[in-house]
Amino acid sequence: MAYLSTTNFTEDKDFIDKWLYTIRTGEMDLSWMKSATEKISPEEANPRRGLTYRDLNLGTYGYTDIPEKVRANRSYAPRGAEIPDGVPDAQPWVSRKSELWAFNTESYYEEAMSRQWNATTDIPWDRLEGVELPEVTGKALSQLMTFLTEVEMIATDTPAMWLPRLNPDFIEVRSFIAAQAMDEARHAEVFRKRALTTGWGLMQASPINEMALKHLRDADSFSEMSVALHLVAEGNVLTMFRFSEYLSPTDVDKKIFRLVMQDEARHVGYGMQHFKYVLDHFPEKREVLHAHLDEAENISFAGAAATELTESFIILAGGGLKKENIEQGVRVTTQFNLKQMEEHFERLDKCGMPERKERSKLYKMYEMGRAAAENAGIKL
Amino acid sequence: MAISFPSTDYFEALKAQMAANEEKFRRLGFIDTTFGVTVGVNGKARNFILEFEVFDLKNVSEVPAIDLKKVDFQIEGDSQVWREMIENIRRNGEADSAHDINTLAHFGERLKIVYDDPDGHDKLYRFMESIQEFFDLSSKLEVSF
Repeated sequence: MAYLSTTNFTEDKDFIDKWLYTIRTGEMDLSWMKSATEKISPEEANPRRGLTYRDLNLGTYGYTDIPEKVRANRSYAPRGAEIPDGVPDAQPWVSRKSELWAFNTESYYEEAMSRQWNATTDIPWDRLEGVELPEVTGKALSQLMTFLTEVEMIATDTPAMWLPRLNPDFIEVRSFIAAQAMDEARHAEVFRKRALTTGWGLMQASPINEMALKHLRDADSFSEMSVALHLVAEGNVLTMFRFSEYLSPTDVDKKIFRLVMQDEARHVGYGMQHFKYVLDHFPEKREVLHAHLDEAENISFAGAAATELTESFIILAGGGLKKENIEQGVRVTTQFNLKQMEEHFERLDKCGMPERKERSKLYKMYEMGRAAAENAGIKL
Repeated sequence: MAISFPSTDYFEALKAQMAANEEKFRRLGFIDTTFGVTVGVNGKARNFILEFEVFDLKNVSEVPAIDLKKVDFQIEGDSQVWREMIENIRRNGEADSAHDINTLAHFGERLKIVYDDPDGHDKLYRFMESIQEFFDLSSKLEVSF
């Protein structure tokens, strides 16, 4: 047990006497009623939407005026509450707003809550009855689902492990991160369920995939994690989900990928808005972000080119293992790979980092891939 | 009476269907996006702007041209592709696996997604299921082309 209470209450005579005294006499302290906190009257801006966090952005309870460095609260006291002496230091790692804040954070959380879905009941699993995919396609689909389950398990762990490290004054970001962990757990669930309903069981774990994922999990700072996870990895995975939807052999798979892409796009949205926020408010962090991107792009390049993933896509896109199937599969998968990289640089450009292409090794890989595709007669 | 496509009447009819199926759209969640739909007809384009808010299509308008800075994204395609999609939805009750929006637009070969801001572009995917279900409501309409 890492934390021990500084008092052994069950042996503390004063504490026990006070407890028994209240039971015996009904006499109350009531000092908490004199809390010097603000009285406000929040209202729903739009009754169709309900009472949102944005509607609570008022006075000392609001998020607009959270200072860059939160020094006043290091406990679990909710923002705006009176903090009496004796509240323990919860030792949050992240107490700087720029380390985690994003434009519109609160609306990403509200959207996440309203767009939750259920992998057990919202997928028409019954439509898979009687569906038998050819062995090669079925195994490729199962390998894709095995790979994505691996991705989503670390994508669940990563935001979840940062939650207790975030200063509770950032409740909107904490809520979003908690919702993200739930989203990723559901993705791991739905991909595992689909892998096992292919009839071929799970296929193989991917060392390169896991190496890339471990980088996300072991980031040194929240901001580094967010750049690597929300912006780079999930940006790539969003393009991958859209591609997987495009390739899906059944309507059930289409539905799965449409639902997971919604969650993923929301996470990317948060990542972009966090990245913009940092660049807007702390231009001096630009070099640090470049350094984060150098590493994140390196591992994302490796993960996206993992054999277990690429070969599954080639088979699903081409429809089999005959020469003409493989040619078609390579053509479509290459188009997807290059599109994935293009969209990554498009996002960075719009976030305010247009110079990224010039120093990015991933961009050099993109140019190399593009030239190779053109030489191979692949239309881009 | 059949509703002509493309027209604001068509989108207004989908809007009415969306309201009539509120429970389904509530279940799918908030949809907060404004996007354009462009239908190429005989070398000319007809442009529509759809403004979604909370669970509803709030407003539909036809405009001479779409300013990409004022919408999240725009879905454009020839009237033949839109017609094929709507007829497919009418036949199946929903788009089949070859006719859903993402499949038709993925490589921009049939429908094309254009945008100014990638964050706006990503909203298509943030609200994908709601947008697909919205177009799938065409199954409840009689549409003429």
